Amino acid sequence: MAPAAMNGAVLPRARVDLSGLVFASLALLLCALVLLPLAWLVWFGITDKSGAATLGNFTTLAADPSFTRPFVLTLGVALAVSLLSCLVATPLAWLVARTDMPGRRTVRLLVMASFVTPPFLGAIAWEILAAPNSGALNQWYRALFDLEADAHVFDIYTVEGLVFVMTCYAFPYVFVLAANALERIPADLEDAAAILGSGRWQSFRRISLPLVMPSLLAGALVAFLQAMTQFGAPAILALPAGFHVITTRIWSLFQYPPEPHLAAAASLPLLLLTVLLLRGQHSLLRGRGYVVIAGKGGAMRRISLGRWRWPAFAAALAVLALPVLLPYAALFKTALVPTASDALTWSTLTLRNFRFVFEEFSATRLALANTLILGLAAATAGSALALVSAFLAARRVVPGAALLGALASAPAAIPGIVLGVGLFLAYTRPPFVLYGSLAILLLAFVTIELPAAYQQLRSALAGLHPELEEAGRILGASRGRALWQITTPLLGSSVIATWCFIFIGAIRELSATIMLTTADTKLVSVIIYDLNESGDLGAISVLGITLLAITFIVVAIANRLPRRRGDAMT
Amino acid sequence: MAAVEVEHLTKRFGARPAVDDLTLKVEHGLFACLLGPSGCGKTTALRLIAGFLAPDDGAIRVGERLLSSRNGVVPPEKRNMSMIFQSYALWPHMTVRENVAYGLRLRRLARTEIERRVDDILAVTRLRAEADRYPADISGGQQQRVALARALVVEPEILLLDEPLSNLDASLREEMRFEIRRLHDAYRYTTLYVTHDQAEAMTTADLIVVMNQGRIEQLGSPEEVYERPRTEFVARFLGGTNILRGRRIAEGLVDCGSVVLRCGTGELGHREETIVAIRLHHVDLSIDGGRALPVNEANGTVARRIYLGAQRDYLVALADGQQLRVTTPPSVDIPVGAAVKLRLPPEHCRALPE
Repeated sequence: MAPAAMNGAVLPRARVDLSGLVFASLALLLCALVLLPLAWLVWFGITDKSGAATLGNFTTLAADPSFTRPFVLTLGVALAVSLLSCLVATPLAWLVARTDMPGRRTVRLLVMASFVTPPFLGAIAWEILAAPNSGALNQWYRALFDLEADAHVFDIYTVEGLVFVMTCYAFPYVFVLAANALERIPADLEDAAAILGSGRWQSFRRISLPLVMPSLLAGALVAFLQAMTQFGAPAILALPAGFHVITTRIWSLFQYPPEPHLAAAASLPLLLLTVLLLRGQHSLLRGRGYVVIAGKGGAMRRISLGRWRWPAFAAALAVLALPVLLPYAALFKTALVPTASDALTWSTLTLRNFRFVFEEFSATRLALANTLILGLAAATAGSALALVSAFLAARRVVPGAALLGALASAPAAIPGIVLGVGLFLAYTRPPFVLYGSLAILLLAFVTIELPAAYQQLRSALAGLHPELEEAGRILGASRGRALWQITTPLLGSSVIATWCFIFIGAIRELSATIMLTTADTKLVSVIIYDLNESGDLGAISVLGITLLAITFIVVAIANRLPRRRGDAMT
Repeated sequence: MAAVEVEHLTKRFGARPAVDDLTLKVEHGLFACLLGPSGCGKTTALRLIAGFLAPDDGAIRVGERLLSSRNGVVPPEKRNMSMIFQSYALWPHMTVRENVAYGLRLRRLARTEIERRVDDILAVTRLRAEADRYPADISGGQQQRVALARALVVEPEILLLDEPLSNLDASLREEMRFEIRRLHDAYRYTTLYVTHDQAEAMTTADLIVVMNQGRIEQLGSPEEVYERPRTEFVARFLGGTNILRGRRIAEGLVDCGSVVLRCGTGELGHREETIVAIRLHHVDLSIDGGRALPVNEANGTVARRIYLGAQRDYLVALADGQQLRVTTPPSVDIPVGAAVKLRLPPEHCRALPE
């Protein structure tokens, strides 16, 4: 703004406004984070080894059944996972959200547990349970019916096995969306239908279900995306079974001899598909607004299950045994016996695996330290970045602030493995040589977690009335002071929750990590993956339990944050 | 002396002007109400004066000081104003005392001075007992008073209020109107008060500024704008009014179809198309049939009758189908369907431009 002299009165010169500078540097940083890897990815995808532009990579891939088959298979697997997730999650969500089933809190906690369990860990646990020969369930089956040594009921190393394990850790996405939507249907909508003479089942079918449908579809899309872009579970289950999905195939292009151009070209369809699916999900959830129209009208009412209450709870527990109870039991048991096939008795009970992992196995300490350092750094950098972008975007401090929001949300459309390829291409050559350092992993984690962190803080800020800051301004506080003394303390809980969220996401990441890790920058997740190849299930279980323990401690902290006294006011 | 002067103030959101060429002067110590329906630009005008928005055109001055122009804006924190927000905007993480003391702490006053002034204002606003509680734990009326105390403790030159009572229930709202006026009289700052509630404006203000579509429709004392509205909009917006459309047949004489009205006030000028406004309680209603006089009287039939306790509210249909609302003392009790005679006294018939 220009100082102006009018009618003898002079406007005081405005103090240097830092928001423009902050905005510019943030925009640059976000561009570097998001656009640089993508640019390299596209560039590699459309050039050959000599650097000449070509579409040859794509034609090679399209003609190669070892690429097309995994691609088609991945779509099939993802479709199956998303359908199964809906089938499991919808009734479960209905029981928890709308009925008087006992133990609803327990069920929610168990769903949350499967939500935070890294899928690669779940896959390994299911190896322990259902490998055709050594699997515990198959052993019991043989013992029970006194059968031959190769008889088995379950074989986890199959496409069906893969679909099953992926569903175990994808259904919570559907559950959360469906349960939220079901809770938001106020009872008077159903009452209105009842007064017009419709029965309970009919009003569920005609009123509630259509209202929940968009959320359900959105959840199905997310589950589809999760299954399509996941690396961990397929790497553990599909590779031994001798087949590839798209993510493992891209990864294999980086094994010797590396084919970065083909890998980049193979990543692009995955990226494109993700963008399209997210657009679909976005438009589904945007139309959801009508559910909330009567948000004020009367609390939701629970449906009485009568004598079906306990059977319903038992059924819910039985379902949740698959992603949580059985795998966790398998991990604990394996951690406490000398070799995975031993039964757990007083005589076999041993802490040898713990001793091995924490004292003898040289890689552990480095990996644990790396994981924690990266978790802390990613969580801190990520929440700070998300907070500033969310603030600038929410308060429209500078023109073009909406652009920041778009940039911060963009990585949501980049599958981890694709980002891994992009970062590898971007930071293995000058001017930025970061490959082999923890910094490249930090970039990956911050980029991956940024969209969710940004969304969380953006909605927290949206819930904070701008008048709270303005009240400080008019009493004499500058913009910075109002942000520091009023907004920041009020956002405190949300910021810490976001921090925890990023931390958990970072310590369990494998898809991008696997492309970027080196011998010096091993993480716990990578060690678990390595140990799986050497078959040391005891050590894996110990590490897995460690990872889960850290996760649950952080989740507990996030859940115990004090709710602000005034939250209801604003 | 802090007279607020607004000159040709204009603010557009997109192409639509929210405030359109607003010119206004509020003398020091006056209580002015910006009154109008939602979307009339009154809140935008207030936020321009507070410095939260920059004008597209025009200027805002307090005394000799230029605060806003198209060339730049003094930020809100440098204006020595206070504001009370529609949401109160009490900081939920601070106690009542901390909320009130915040502005003084920013002014770097001595601790004892801060304590003294906070205690004083808490006494004036009757909040002593609530000093150490959090905003979420006190009642709506008390929250409103905390907002007042927080705004007043810094002894602003100018107090801005943005629909401060719209979140309170009816009885509390009435009480707080008097409270706000009482504090204004006690401290004598210049007050700008935004509301859409005419009763609020009438009870509190020295000066009512009726706004419509970003412009000032009329400006004057409560009595002036109520008794002598200059436009149909003002007549309708302030209190119940019958509007009859007609054409001028002679100086002060308007033919409104089934009734011809001699108008004693308003714009009696030379326009052809004219409307006549008359307040509900200024119409006389009697069951005594008989033929109406040719001027300022009409025959009709009671179409609806509502008992409101302090008065009755009638709807009377005239011969040509026009309907007039009339309020009477409750003792005037005429059944629906009865033939009635209406008298519209010339001194209350106000001619307005169409």
